[in-house]
Amino acid sequence: MAVLFAVVLLAGGLGGCGISMPGDPDGTLERVSGGTLRVGVTDNGKWASIGDGQEPRGIEPGLVRSFASSISATPEWAAGSEQELTKALKEGDLDLVIGGFAADTPWATHAGTTRPYTESKDAYGKTVKHVFLVPLGENGFLLALDRFLLEQDVQA
Amino acid sequence: MSRTGTAGKFGNTELPQEQKDALQKAIRFEWITLAFLTVSTALVFLVLGNSQAMKAAWIEDLLSFLPPIAFLLAARLIRRPPTEKHPYGYHRSVGIAHLVAAVALVAMGSFLIVDSGAGLLSAEHPTIGGIELFGHTIWLGWLMVAAMLLTAGPPVYLGRVKIKLAEKLHDKVLYADADMNKADWMTAGAAAVGVLGIGVGLWWADYAAALLISVSILRDGVKNLRGAVGALIDTRAHTVDDSAPDPLNRRIDVYLKGLPWVSQAASRIRDEGHVFHIESFVVPAGGAVPSLETLEDARKACAGLDWKVQDLVIIPVAKLPKEFLPGLRSPGAEY
Repeated sequence: MAVLFAVVLLAGGLGGCGISMPGDPDGTLERVSGGTLRVGVTDNGKWASIGDGQEPRGIEPGLVRSFASSISATPEWAAGSEQELTKALKEGDLDLVIGGFAADTPWATHAGTTRPYTESKDAYGKTVKHVFLVPLGENGFLLALDRFLLEQDVQA
Repeated sequence: MSRTGTAGKFGNTELPQEQKDALQKAIRFEWITLAFLTVSTALVFLVLGNSQAMKAAWIEDLLSFLPPIAFLLAARLIRRPPTEKHPYGYHRSVGIAHLVAAVALVAMGSFLIVDSGAGLLSAEHPTIGGIELFGHTIWLGWLMVAAMLLTAGPPVYLGRVKIKLAEKLHDKVLYADADMNKADWMTAGAAAVGVLGIGVGLWWADYAAALLISVSILRDGVKNLRGAVGALIDTRAHTVDDSAPDPLNRRIDVYLKGLPWVSQAASRIRDEGHVFHIESFVVPAGGAVPSLETLEDARKACAGLDWKVQDLVIIPVAKLPKEFLPGLRSPGAEY
């Protein structure tokens, strides 16, 4: 029982001290707020498209811009394949990867996924739930992004 | 023998009222345990997320199904009276059930230690995001902590009740089950602390909690395995918590030696699960062979000492056989 009591105290104490729960082991949310949000974009039709010398366009770059402005961040875009971008995300060189990723993405061992923000049908008639990829374990940043995405009403 | 006549029996052993009541209560409480586990595993599964500690706690919950199921199956089987094919009855079904549950605990405990250790070494940060609940997006970690706190209390109560029943019934599966239930709040507490650790940015707290839980599963497994194998290999009868040799051994020997026609007596006892199988060697005083009535009276009197004593044979011998009674000190000085 003592441990349970300690858990309650700990939880209450943390709330009371104003420590934000959850926090980021690598401090992503704190760093990007008011700073630069490094976003990897992989070309994927209406979800994200990359033109020469232009900023990325599509549903997801639009969402990222709104999110970035909500935390006073400036997006810095990097284009690449899924392989390159998830690797960079894992190595801490990117904060976010977009490009029509599904909730059941095989990259989930290298990256965290947000809550699905919209659904679409793929070529086989199967429902695809769309997510962004975030660094593993940056839970404060992930929750901020989840909160933002779930407030949006995205029709694919 | 009618079907209804076997309800208050362990094989041929007619249970005293106290044990009959304890058995009924134990069966009821094991069903309650199963019902609780169904709810709690479902609840924990819903909020499992990516936490290794939650995964470990959930697997422990799943494993907790085994001992009650083992007990309920065994409780059914041991009612059967001995048959021509099974002259010793079905008491050993308790031991088999116990062994199966113990092996499952050892296997899963070992797997989880490796799994959690690998996670810790790879430094893969557990990712737990938000979840939409009643229109608000809250951190899933809070739900995990809530689920752990909700499911921490009931097993402690169930364990406390069952451990008393296990002592009355001399049932080691029930005892092991109750013992695990009693310690269940520590698992829940560890998982909650692990999740809160993730919350404050200490990613390793999750794996540390998971390792703690895994070690406790493995320890339960080893403890049970030792008990189960010990019972199946006919270790001398111990008390239900395996802390000491069962005092009945001494009581029977003392009783037999106290009889006027007996000069020496020593028994070996094996624990069949609930009841004991006992062979008592007696050396009649003056070498005179006792009458059949005398032997039968002594047997009945021994069986009257405790409900667990029913299958007892008295073997008159010229000299206590050392090969069957290891540890026998110089004749006549056993106690």
